[in-house]
Amino acid sequence: MNVDKTLVASIVLHVLVLGWGLLTFSSKAYIAPEESLPVDIISTDQLAQMMSGQKTGDKKEPKPKVEKVAEAKPEEDSVGKVTEKKELIKTNSTPDTPPPPKPVEKPVEKKPDPPKPVAETKPKEEPKPQEKKPDPAKEDPIAELQKKLDTKKPPPKPVEQKVAAVQPQQQPKPKERTFDPAQIARDLDKRAATRHELTGSALNASASLGSTSGTAANNIATWQGAFQGAVKRCFTPTYNGQDANLYEADIDIPMKIDGSLASEPVIVAVRGPSRSIAQAVAESAKRAIVQCQVYSFLPKQQYDSWKLIPMTFGLKDML
Amino acid sequence: MNRRRFMTLTGSTLALLGGGQAFAQQPQQGRLRIDPTEFRPIPIAITNFVPGSPADGEVSNGVTQVITNNLKRSGLFAPIDQAAFIERISNIDVAPQFQNWKTLNAQALVTGRMTRQQDGRLKAEFRLWDVVTGQQLAGQQYFTSPEYWRRIAHIISDQIYEQMTGEKGYFDSRVVFVDETGPKERRVKRLAMMDQDGANVRYLTRGSDLVLTPRFSPNSQEITYMEFGQGDPKVYLFNIETGQREIVGNFPGMTFAPRFSPDGQRVIMSLQQGGNSNLFVMDLRSRSTTRLTDTPAIDTSPSYSPDGTRICFESDRGGRSQIYVMAAGGGQAQRISFSKDDNNATYSTPVWSPRGDYIAFTRQGGGQFSIGVMKPDGSGERLLTSGFHNEGPTFSPNGRVVMFFRDPGGNSGPSLFSVDISGRFEQKVPTPGFASDPAWSPLLSATAGQ
Repeated sequence: MNVDKTLVASIVLHVLVLGWGLLTFSSKAYIAPEESLPVDIISTDQLAQMMSGQKTGDKKEPKPKVEKVAEAKPEEDSVGKVTEKKELIKTNSTPDTPPPPKPVEKPVEKKPDPPKPVAETKPKEEPKPQEKKPDPAKEDPIAELQKKLDTKKPPPKPVEQKVAAVQPQQQPKPKERTFDPAQIARDLDKRAATRHELTGSALNASASLGSTSGTAANNIATWQGAFQGAVKRCFTPTYNGQDANLYEADIDIPMKIDGSLASEPVIVAVRGPSRSIAQAVAESAKRAIVQCQVYSFLPKQQYDSWKLIPMTFGLKDML
Repeated sequence: MNRRRFMTLTGSTLALLGGGQAFAQQPQQGRLRIDPTEFRPIPIAITNFVPGSPADGEVSNGVTQVITNNLKRSGLFAPIDQAAFIERISNIDVAPQFQNWKTLNAQALVTGRMTRQQDGRLKAEFRLWDVVTGQQLAGQQYFTSPEYWRRIAHIISDQIYEQMTGEKGYFDSRVVFVDETGPKERRVKRLAMMDQDGANVRYLTRGSDLVLTPRFSPNSQEITYMEFGQGDPKVYLFNIETGQREIVGNFPGMTFAPRFSPDGQRVIMSLQQGGNSNLFVMDLRSRSTTRLTDTPAIDTSPSYSPDGTRICFESDRGGRSQIYVMAAGGGQAQRISFSKDDNNATYSTPVWSPRGDYIAFTRQGGGQFSIGVMKPDGSGERLLTSGFHNEGPTFSPNGRVVMFFRDPGGNSGPSLFSVDISGRFEQKVPTPGFASDPAWSPLLSATAGQ
């Protein structure tokens, strides 16, 4: 049988190309949606500026707290770490005391070879290995808690502080020991705060607004839109009669760099068939500007562009 | 910014451009622009008026309540529940702690005091504060007889309304209407008058004869209306102070649908002649009459424009009842009502707004009676409410609210309702019984000197 090799090659090539296309396009079709941005209608010039970066920008903004933390706090597997601390297991003789201040004992460290196995009367719950803390100045909250527990005999008052050192050898009171999973959860929550800080500083190596070379924060349209939205929330004009679209008030807004008003907004001009209604529109706009401050989202690096914000308040869509 | 973000942003931008109603409009001439897209009432805190003496406690609370109800019913204000107040005002001569009111999101604060004077008069004081800027916007005091405390409350309400909106208020006004009692087949109809909020009802006629279409004179001292007496129905003038009444003109046929001219010197009405009716105007001083229309049709329900130069009326000269506008002296009439969605719709009972910007009407079509407004040239028609039977619109003195009557049918009877000209705030007006044919008076405080 005579097979046309070119035909076969053509078929194979087509199949390959189509298959590649299917895979490629289908995978792109499921790109996760981007986080929404407050955007405004922007001109091509503004868009080009936003894309090209800022030549005159300040280059020594390395955001130090973000970029030089890596070696200081290695994120480590908290499971199975052995420290010099001894296993501490406390019991609580009064489990009915209010939970927040109540000292509840719990195993804080799993040691492969505990020097002093605590006599336990109940089935063993999972011991909690204590996190190794790279920062010596900070005490492990659980250990702190344990210290407090150790210093006082009767359970009612947990306020005792300042135990000299961690005392691994405490008189175990097996008969008073209770297992309180809720307290374990609370203690875990305390540790979670520490982990948060570690994780955030270790993993987030870039500034909060895009990359260090980006100029997203310079997007004028973004802050303008956000400012309009913020003031709009408080703007409650009352006129909705005929010719509402003819009423306008021009107001200049002097701003401080922290986003608050530098002084009272200034009514520059009012327009409309009725002077009194137009003035009421302007007063309503002034109240809105004052009431909705502080506009702390305004980008400080562009303070010059919003040091004085000229605005026009209208009633175009009131009817 | 990477390529994907660029595409997303560009796409969003294009979507905004294509969407028409963007989140915010492009700044014009270097100015940011804000146009609110939704209406929200102004949050206002109205504190209990401080009684000058323990004996003044009741009237102080009454004034506070009337002001609160007035502003709330206007739809433009949202009085804050007093239970949420942090500060208690005990001395209105001391500036309030504005932070306590900012916390409640109040934009304005009303404080006041009612004190009985040694001469027996009542002294009413109030202050209106701008909570946001901490400035006093208004401060007034009034003296009156104690029985007029409600009127004082209405006047204070008007002051607050005007200060905050830039428009005259309408609370110090009255409504004349037809009170209806008894079973449907033997309904007794009396002329009645009340404050715009339904208080202080007074009956002006006994109900022995049927009365219809009462209308206030511009000084609110007289009422013109139609009454079915022994002979043909006639148009009457009724003096509110003296209780005297007189027939307007001596026409051979039925006269009906009367209304005063804006200067109060003339009454315009319909005169039936055979199967037709035409418009006539009568000078109240000289008693001379002038024919305004002469058509083989039914021309009725005339209403003057505020400047008195034009009238609107309904006529079936085109086959169906429609609204026409012509010069006050007669002449060529121009039809202004054209239904876009129902060629069989009819328009009737037009009434010109005191502000001159709208004409309110009753529209019948699609099995429903609607109350609506349109501009005097017929454009901008907007229906405010629709239902089984809505009829007889009348404007508030400032032209912001329309009152009308609604009859649900069956064995029930009509009731009065009001709706603002945006159609957002509709509410029932309390009356002792069934009520129809309302007519709003001008602002009493504005006409006091007339």
